[in-house]
Amino acid sequence: MYEFDWSSIPGALPFLVQGMYISLEITAIAIVVGIVWGTLLAMMRLSSVTALSWFAAGYVNLFRAVPLVMVLLWFFLMIPHMLESIFGFPRGSDMRLGSAIAGFALFEAAYYSEIIRAGIQSVSKGQMAAANALGMTYGQSMRLVVLPQAFRNMVPLLLTQGIILFQDTSLVYVSALADFFGAAYKVGDRDGRLVEMLLFAGAVYFVLCFTVSQLVRYYQKKLKTA
Amino acid sequence: MIAINKVSKHYGAFQVLTDCTTHVNKGEVVVVCGPSGSGKSTLIKCVNGLEPFQSGEITVNGVSVGDPKTDLPKLRSHVGMVFQNFELFPHMSIVENLTVAQIKVLGRDKPEADEKGIQLLDRVGLKVQALKYPGQLSGGQQQRVAIARALAMDPICMLFDEPTSALDPEMINEVLDVMTELAQEGMTMMCVTHEMGFAKRVASRVVFMDHGHIVEDDLKDAFFANPRSERAQQFLAKILHH
Ligand SMILES: Nc1ncnc2c1ncn2[C@@H]1O[C@H](COP(=O)(O)OP(=O)(O)OP(=O)(O)O)[C@@H](O)[C@H]1O
Ligand SMILES: [Mg+2]
Repeated sequence: MYEFDWSSIPGALPFLVQGMYISLEITAIAIVVGIVWGTLLAMMRLSSVTALSWFAAGYVNLFRAVPLVMVLLWFFLMIPHMLESIFGFPRGSDMRLGSAIAGFALFEAAYYSEIIRAGIQSVSKGQMAAANALGMTYGQSMRLVVLPQAFRNMVPLLLTQGIILFQDTSLVYVSALADFFGAAYKVGDRDGRLVEMLLFAGAVYFVLCFTVSQLVRYYQKKLKTA
Repeated sequence: MIAINKVSKHYGAFQVLTDCTTHVNKGEVVVVCGPSGSGKSTLIKCVNGLEPFQSGEITVNGVSVGDPKTDLPKLRSHVGMVFQNFELFPHMSIVENLTVAQIKVLGRDKPEADEKGIQLLDRVGLKVQALKYPGQLSGGQQQRVAIARALAMDPICMLFDEPTSALDPEMINEVLDVMTELAQEGMTMMCVTHEMGFAKRVASRVVFMDHGHIVEDDLKDAFFANPRSERAQQFLAKILHH
């Protein structure tokens, strides 16, 4: 029988909390940037300007057809080089967090844009016509009439995608960045207590994600009855 | 006020409008009727440029709608439109529905827009509903709000696309009453409707459409007394016996 030994957790808590902070930071920034960029992509995709809609379609299909972990690796390898050569950043500065955030944001935008596109299309055409008929420009109609309704319908899906993103942040271990998962792994490896640390990390992910997804459900119910 | 001259429109090979010519003078009420699919909605949406058309010309108050140089949002801001399905903005309160375009399009300040909005709600008998949301109102009430919303922009003319056909019968009259009052005050109106009672009461002329053509364009009395075309006769017989 394997003897569990949880004693390395209490001492490692500050380190783990720091890791959690990094995971949440990546998640939050990637969600915000992903939604903003995703909204623009969705609007381009639906636009009647062929060049824009092709660009958006190409972007979305490209990012949805490659594994996330590969995108992250590209960014880890490319971004430091680019910043060094373009902006003269000192060689060897630590850009892993920045690269990770950029990678996630651009990758997630592809997924968000599909959710948002469906959301925009779920708003009846008559709403756009009514806004236009009142003299609103395309931009005003989108901003004041169509997007608020689209987002209200989309909040559950956007949050669910956010939960997936939070779980996926663990993939930054490929760059040895100490996010929550990376931190747990390092502690477990150091103390020879990998099994315990990974179980603990799994439990924390579970509790967080489960709680948020219950909140999403609650919101969804409220939305339906409203 | 509205002049439609030889307007044609097609979707691919499908001809929706063929050489449509008619007009609405200032202060006139013109009723447009015809069987389903005859192109009534399409024609009225061409008037404020919601639908593009391929040939012909439409001018509203002297401004050409089809001209690419025309500032369409500006033109639409003083052409009111009322839709079959109301199209109130469900995420805004009733009073916000009436003020949003006044503020964002006409640049009025909020107190002024609110005052105008409340005054128009009062006029359509819905002042007490100002803070509710569209979903909480009946169809007839929503359509009256939609009319008030259009009036809040101080339109020079109003377009109606079957404003009562999505309503339960008992709610039709409350909407027609508002429209009748508007007509009697001298508003220039182009109304797609099958409410022949309304047409008899307030219309100056009746336009009858079939298969994308304007088949009849007569003074009201002439139209109801003896429509010239067989299609219009059949149509009237059917509708008046209902
Ligand atoms: N986007 C579109 N693409 C192709 N055909 C269309 C489109 N919109 C309308 N049509 C066709 O154009 C014709 C005229 O439509 P329109 O809505 O103007 O008719 P209508 O007279 O308003 O009918 P109704 O009384 O049912 O409202 C119809 O046959 C319709 O199927
Ligand atoms: Mg119609």
